[in-house]
Amino acid sequence: MANGYAGKILKVDLTTKTIGEIPTSQYEQWGGGHGMGSAIFWDLCEDPTVDGTDPKNVVTIMAGPLSGTLASGAAGRTEVQGIGLQSMPRGWFTRSNFGGRFSTHLKYAGWDGIVILGKSDKQVWLNIVDGKVTLEDATSLWGLDTHATQQKIWASVLGAPPAGNWDTLGTTRDSGRSTQRPAVLSAGPNAEKFGPWASLVHDGGNGAGQGGFGGVFASKNLKAVSVLGTGGIEVADPNALMQARTWLMGYAVAGNWDNQGKNVAGNWPLPANPGTASSFPKGTALRPQGCAGCVRMCRCRSDKIMGNDSMCVDFFTTAGATPEVNVVWTDLMQKLGLNAFNLVGLFPWLRGLVAEGAIGKGKAIDSSLPFEQMTSVAFGVDLMNSIVNQTDIGKDLALGLWQCAQKWGRLDKDLATGMLPLQEWGYVHHYDGRTEAEWGYGCLLGDRDINEHDFNWICYWTPTIWAAYGMTPLVTAQRMAEIMSKQMIPYSDEPNLIDYSDAGIYSETMAKTTAWHRHYTRYYKQALGFCDWNWADFVNPYGPDFVGATSIGEPKFFNAVTGKNQTFAEGMEIGRKIWNLDRAVWILQGRTRDMEVFSDYMYDVAATAKTPGIPYEMPYTMPVFENGAWSYKSVAGRKLDRQKVEDFKTLFFKLEGWDTKTGWPTRKTLEDLGLKNVADKLQGAGKLGAA
Amino acid sequence: MGDIDKTKGTEPEGKVVSRREFVTGLGGVGLGAVIGGLLGQGFFTPDKVFAIPASGGYLLVDTKKCAGCTSCMMACSLVHHGQVNYSLSRIQITQNSFAAFPNDISMAMCRQCPFPACVEVCPTGACHVDTANGNVRTVDEAKCIGCERCVNACPFTPSRALWNGADKHAQKCDLCADTPFWNEKGGPGGKQACATVCAMKAISFTKDVPVQGADTGYNVDLGSTSKVWQGFGFNVG
Repeated sequence: MANGYAGKILKVDLTTKTIGEIPTSQYEQWGGGHGMGSAIFWDLCEDPTVDGTDPKNVVTIMAGPLSGTLASGAAGRTEVQGIGLQSMPRGWFTRSNFGGRFSTHLKYAGWDGIVILGKSDKQVWLNIVDGKVTLEDATSLWGLDTHATQQKIWASVLGAPPAGNWDTLGTTRDSGRSTQRPAVLSAGPNAEKFGPWASLVHDGGNGAGQGGFGGVFASKNLKAVSVLGTGGIEVADPNALMQARTWLMGYAVAGNWDNQGKNVAGNWPLPANPGTASSFPKGTALRPQGCAGCVRMCRCRSDKIMGNDSMCVDFFTTAGATPEVNVVWTDLMQKLGLNAFNLVGLFPWLRGLVAEGAIGKGKAIDSSLPFEQMTSVAFGVDLMNSIVNQTDIGKDLALGLWQCAQKWGRLDKDLATGMLPLQEWGYVHHYDGRTEAEWGYGCLLGDRDINEHDFNWICYWTPTIWAAYGMTPLVTAQRMAEIMSKQMIPYSDEPNLIDYSDAGIYSETMAKTTAWHRHYTRYYKQALGFCDWNWADFVNPYGPDFVGATSIGEPKFFNAVTGKNQTFAEGMEIGRKIWNLDRAVWILQGRTRDMEVFSDYMYDVAATAKTPGIPYEMPYTMPVFENGAWSYKSVAGRKLDRQKVEDFKTLFFKLEGWDTKTGWPTRKTLEDLGLKNVADKLQGAGKLGAA
Repeated sequence: MGDIDKTKGTEPEGKVVSRREFVTGLGGVGLGAVIGGLLGQGFFTPDKVFAIPASGGYLLVDTKKCAGCTSCMMACSLVHHGQVNYSLSRIQITQNSFAAFPNDISMAMCRQCPFPACVEVCPTGACHVDTANGNVRTVDEAKCIGCERCVNACPFTPSRALWNGADKHAQKCDLCADTPFWNEKGGPGGKQACATVCAMKAISFTKDVPVQGADTGYNVDLGSTSKVWQGFGFNVG
């Protein structure tokens, strides 16, 4: 069928060692990726209240219809879901996502995704070569790092180190040939020992970093998943897909090499996130590298190998070390399969503890780590190894940052000052909810740090860099607001959707912005795989009158691949459905509105560069609508008002059709979305929102 | 100088062969000089030396610019077959995340050899010089008997002629002369899908015969040493 889907989802029961299939058509209404993953989890997880290490946890690793196609900035992502190990006060049903070439090979092997149930009695890795799926002995791999594991699996699947020629997979020439290496997703060495920190790594540094999915894998006695596909995916309208690709290249440097100076300050839409190339030591020979089907290429490969496929915060952007030190740390972090973002938060905390005299040899927190040289190679290496091996402070750190602080008796105190920068749910402060409100709210009302930069690039970084360097804005705040309102279907009649003023961040309009963001990311980015480094494309210097590709581009690619005629509004509604389904799972897991509060520093401490000490942040300049006019204004130094946040939540719940007392979806809302079964289950649990 | 078959060649009237065309007709890397499968496809130079018309076009690559996104492979299979499929792509990008730049990525495109071994060995003339499409070396699928002599004869690794196990015939790069799923004119006189979709401009097309005998004829600087490239922090060393 020429619709971008492979047609079946692989279902692996590790307990019974049975391999089965789920027809993709059963879940096609959910798009792919996260949508299918949530729906499958809802159907197959007997008890979502269990701990993430329980065999009843269901893990999904999903591609989508655009995976492996030329859908640019959408073909390379893979969405991982399940009950996580990282968030507090409990591991929410959560998500992570990684790039590279895994979802491409999964699709070419004939699968739209993988569902993993149960727990194996032996250590295994999952071997997928087209339709041949086997569980292999992982005993010899269990203690290996992610890079060594992948290379050993390559040799195992291909029979020999690849000579770069055509390998015949199977027994006949018609059973499939490939020049490619398998795409492997691996947990780190003995990941059960540092589960809440454990990521999954594919190739050099494509990481499903947050959520502790490496620990979830390990709890199932699963080390890695390898896939090699020699088949293909039919596309509904190949010519339209080619045209869409060249059209989108016009919105990036890819189509403007002769005019690449005309770019929005900071990041958009350049190849290689600025900061990635410069993260390497001076003089390093580099190329840009991109996931399958990409048009931007956000990371690099170097002549030193260390840091290959890594980018941005993978390079320890909060540690204050030199690039020479960073690349060594980055390489180790990826090999060990450690959550890079936890390390982002750990360094400021440790610096604070050192300054307080609270940590070190013979101190209240006794440690032999070389704190006098926190920017030396040895410090980072010893720190990371201590977490993985549970030595020194690593024994407590390995429990998770929140849990460690609790054990040290410092949780409330350090969250109150922001010295331990966990903004919500025990996740490290990424961007500041005191200033960039939609980021904070999206995290708070969801399950984790959102890591979705759609508004962040355009509404925070761009005006902030313009202001910081005295540059003339390419677009006025008013023009920015006009462009974005038009794209933020179905709220396009609202002119003030990006008003980040002191009043604006608590308004019903900001509730709409937050809701839009949840729905857009659930469908377009996490179900269909539109990558955060390229989408949403709101304001683009290469676009006509600076209008970016979003709301046109997403349906253009989706419809070219699937042959459907889906509008952007229809996609947004699917996103709303997925978001409501996720909300229902969290509610079954025990979510109530009174749990949805930020850490104290968000309310009590002004947002400055010193709190929470995340050095990559610059004081926030954002668009505001005040006194009847738009402008870019510094909102640095703001803190949130507790009551106003509570009032905002009420506005948000009302907008979403949820019970304002509890934050639980009502029957009407769920049934209007076709989720009657969800309403029934919530009712049975006594957790259905009152109308 | 190869064997000369004076009895079966086609001698186009009035065709003047330049010295360059003559020399490149014998210049394929590592090839023998058996005429064999070139029957009917060659021509005689004025002094009766049998030669093959050079392709009207060639793909050049800059392996230091390639970002390994494999969009070229997806586009190639898409425009030729209507599906995205690495195994059907007539350009192959292989990569290794655990190798050092620039050896982490290889780009394997057909060189449209002036003296094509794949054409030479084909027993049926399926793999032939397509004079209607700028002399591109390509496979007539209807004539292919699946012997894979072309696949084995290609002097490069991976073989640029490949086996299509689904449709049971060999195939190779035709410079997009025959792309039923793309509404653009291809072939040496038109566009190539791989170069069109390459975001890093690491693939280009030329009508000039590249220098033979070494990779540097085909693996060229397409901007990897330019100030623009360096301005992004990409130092190729």
